[in-house]
Amino acid sequence: MLNPKNKKRFLLMSVMVLILSMALLGCSIESVENEKSESTTESDNMITFAWPRDIGELNPHIYNPSQLFAQSMLYEPLVSYQDGGELKPQLAESWEISEDGKEYLFHLRQDVKFTDGSNFNAEIVKKNFDAILANVDLHSWLGFISKIDQTEVIDEYTFKLTLTESYYPTIQELAVVRPVRFLGEAGFPQDGDTSKGIEKPVGTGPWVLDEYKADEFAVFKRNEDYWGELPSIEKIKVKVIPDAETRVLAFEKGDLDVVYGEGVIGIDSFKQLESTGSYGSSISEPVATRQLVMNTNKEQLSDVRVRQALHYGFNKQAMVEGVTSGLEEKADYILPTNFPYTSNLDATKVDYNVEKAKQLLDEAGWKLPKGKNIREKDGKPLEIELMYNSAESIQKTMAETLQSEWTGLGVKLNIVGVELTTQVERFKANEFDMNFFSNYGAPYDPHTFVNIVATEGFGFREAISAYSNKEELLNQIAEVKQTTDENERQELYTEILGSLQEQGAIVPVSYIKKIAVYQKNVSNFTFPANRDEHPFTGISIKK
Amino acid sequence: MSTYVLKRIITIVPIFLLTTLLTFGMINLSPVDPAEAYFAAAHIQATDEMLEQKRHEFGLDQPLFIQYVNALIKICQFDFGISYVTNKPVWEEISSRMPATIQLTIGSLLIAILVSVPIGFLAGIKKNSGIDHFSRFLSFIGASIPSFWLGYLFIFFFSVKLDLFPVEGTGTWKHLILPSVTLAFPLIALYTRLLRASVLENLQESYVLFARTRGIHEKIIMGKHVLRIAISPMITGLGMNLGNLMTGAVIVEAVFSWPGFGRLFIDAIFNRDVPVIQGYVLLAAGLFLISNLIVDLIQLYIDPRISRKERQYQ
Repeated sequence: MLNPKNKKRFLLMSVMVLILSMALLGCSIESVENEKSESTTESDNMITFAWPRDIGELNPHIYNPSQLFAQSMLYEPLVSYQDGGELKPQLAESWEISEDGKEYLFHLRQDVKFTDGSNFNAEIVKKNFDAILANVDLHSWLGFISKIDQTEVIDEYTFKLTLTESYYPTIQELAVVRPVRFLGEAGFPQDGDTSKGIEKPVGTGPWVLDEYKADEFAVFKRNEDYWGELPSIEKIKVKVIPDAETRVLAFEKGDLDVVYGEGVIGIDSFKQLESTGSYGSSISEPVATRQLVMNTNKEQLSDVRVRQALHYGFNKQAMVEGVTSGLEEKADYILPTNFPYTSNLDATKVDYNVEKAKQLLDEAGWKLPKGKNIREKDGKPLEIELMYNSAESIQKTMAETLQSEWTGLGVKLNIVGVELTTQVERFKANEFDMNFFSNYGAPYDPHTFVNIVATEGFGFREAISAYSNKEELLNQIAEVKQTTDENERQELYTEILGSLQEQGAIVPVSYIKKIAVYQKNVSNFTFPANRDEHPFTGISIKK
Repeated sequence: MSTYVLKRIITIVPIFLLTTLLTFGMINLSPVDPAEAYFAAAHIQATDEMLEQKRHEFGLDQPLFIQYVNALIKICQFDFGISYVTNKPVWEEISSRMPATIQLTIGSLLIAILVSVPIGFLAGIKKNSGIDHFSRFLSFIGASIPSFWLGYLFIFFFSVKLDLFPVEGTGTWKHLILPSVTLAFPLIALYTRLLRASVLENLQESYVLFARTRGIHEKIIMGKHVLRIAISPMITGLGMNLGNLMTGAVIVEAVFSWPGFGRLFIDAIFNRDVPVIQGYVLLAAGLFLISNLIVDLIQLYIDPRISRKERQYQ
């Protein structure tokens, strides 16, 4: 037996050995892996890029935690969404739509191979569609999925999709990054159910996953057998850097070639990097509209004149410019005009006019009693609550600006910062006076936006209750998705969007844009037209 | 002695049970509906039936007591549930990130000890000397600088400007330096002061006087007797901080892109990934309990008075 002193020693030794061995274990594994990776990943013709989160599993049919840009590097759609909302052939060379708008016949490209060497053909398209349809609930947010009646292989390179009813956005929705992109045979699990995971990421896209270390980095290399134009860059390294300031510092040190995205670095950081003149920078076309949604169910906001008065009553140009340092642009329309069917929107532009705002409020019966600062009607003060996402500094500053601007009109605005989830919940439950919202952007709009407006439980349908033409609007929205006549569709959209805006419950505030900063040796950087896609098409490095 | 250790280990059980009860209670009190959170994390528009079905699947329609017992049985088997976001077992998610966090913790603990023991000790025996003033300065700085800012400063100077260390990532010992020092800085401030105060106190003790009268060399008195006794409060502090370090590295891990489980926790909070949050809280509690146990055992070894007292009671 050990005596007490030796026992103590033994105990202490064991603890120390345990701690040290854990430390050494950690160090040795890390360093071996690192040496390996450093030797194989570094390449002259490589772009290093930072992203806040790990790229995820790279399953084309699943959402979180897979990152959209990474999925879009590996997997391709049948149809691609291009600038101005133009829909171009990608894996489908062409397509035919039946008179009644229910049958879609896709003629597939014949020169496409998956990275496992297998052919891209109608069989594999059907297999992918069937895997997606096995989990319809998961994907029902995407309109055409729940309308699919049948998927058929007509011949090796012809695929037919039959819908239960006519739904024009089908082609546009085929361009989204997930879930309708195509996994090669070798990627499918035994039971074919991709919702639980895939064997390996096998796509047809221009990039292949080369190396991956969870939570640290991923290296994509060029797919040398790619059917389309080969990227000029050999490799793309994605470093996972969760913190925005660290991304800026890493970029300044030269560890990163490109910083890209929405809100990936602070506005001040972007401006500061831009001002040094040592880097290239660009701002994209509008990707979405930041909107202010007013709940017409609330008594104060049920009168269209009050809503219009509030719109007239703040200096939008100055607010957007001031709060976003010019990274966003003042918005005149509820959807950006570079989306399909939105280019000739017909709605009155509202310019800053305090006098007009006051006059409208007077007309609506909200008068300013003598000796008071807040307007009243039947003894009730004109008090409104604006809800914003407390984590979003832009929303917060805009809310504060509106509060001070509207005080001048005699309107008391209470601003309430809430968490994003609460914001969404309260919006859906119609428990708000005023809220910030932004639409999904390309390639989802305009049909997704009008659909959200018309669907119960999203907040909008209830919010526009006081619209005199609500029923007509809802009918038009139902009709626009089904119409097969292009001109009629355009007319309907012009009317719907125009009317939604004229009634003043949805106030366009600013157009949200993406930013990019890159080192001087990076050239041909372009923003993807599809908001979710990667930006590496065409990018190159000057040696 | 062994009965003391055994007793000490047994006391952990009720404390841990209480922790699980508290965690379970708090998660149930929060307004988050796990079923809704599950669908929100997956970006699915859930219908009422889907929500009902999920609640049933999670066992949320059972009485609270049954839910708690079921959860407890699972926890004992290291089954913390499945993450809503990644659909992987929470334990797998946490344990795969554990080595990185342990590495960072040990790194910063070593730095904290290596720096604060000599400075604190010297500041104590040489009161009001240059080193004492320096230790005071270091303590004020360390206690008042927020770690995220310190992290940015370190990156800016040592990485961007001087190019001595990498900005982020893991791999070599160089990657470990900046995050460890950032994490160790407030500890250095704390330990230096603790040790200094304790040394000063011990110098007044009669055993020091007695040793001096016995003609024992000053170096031996200081090194073998004073330091050994004086270091005891610092070790207690270490124990309290070990758990803190493991779970409190959240900010430092985010700043230095360190792939530990602190980042997992942040993501879990934003996604309302309830199983991960719960697993993390329990793990934190477990770490605190274990680190306190280890400290008590070390104390027992270092300070003979404790074990003597224990023996008296037996």
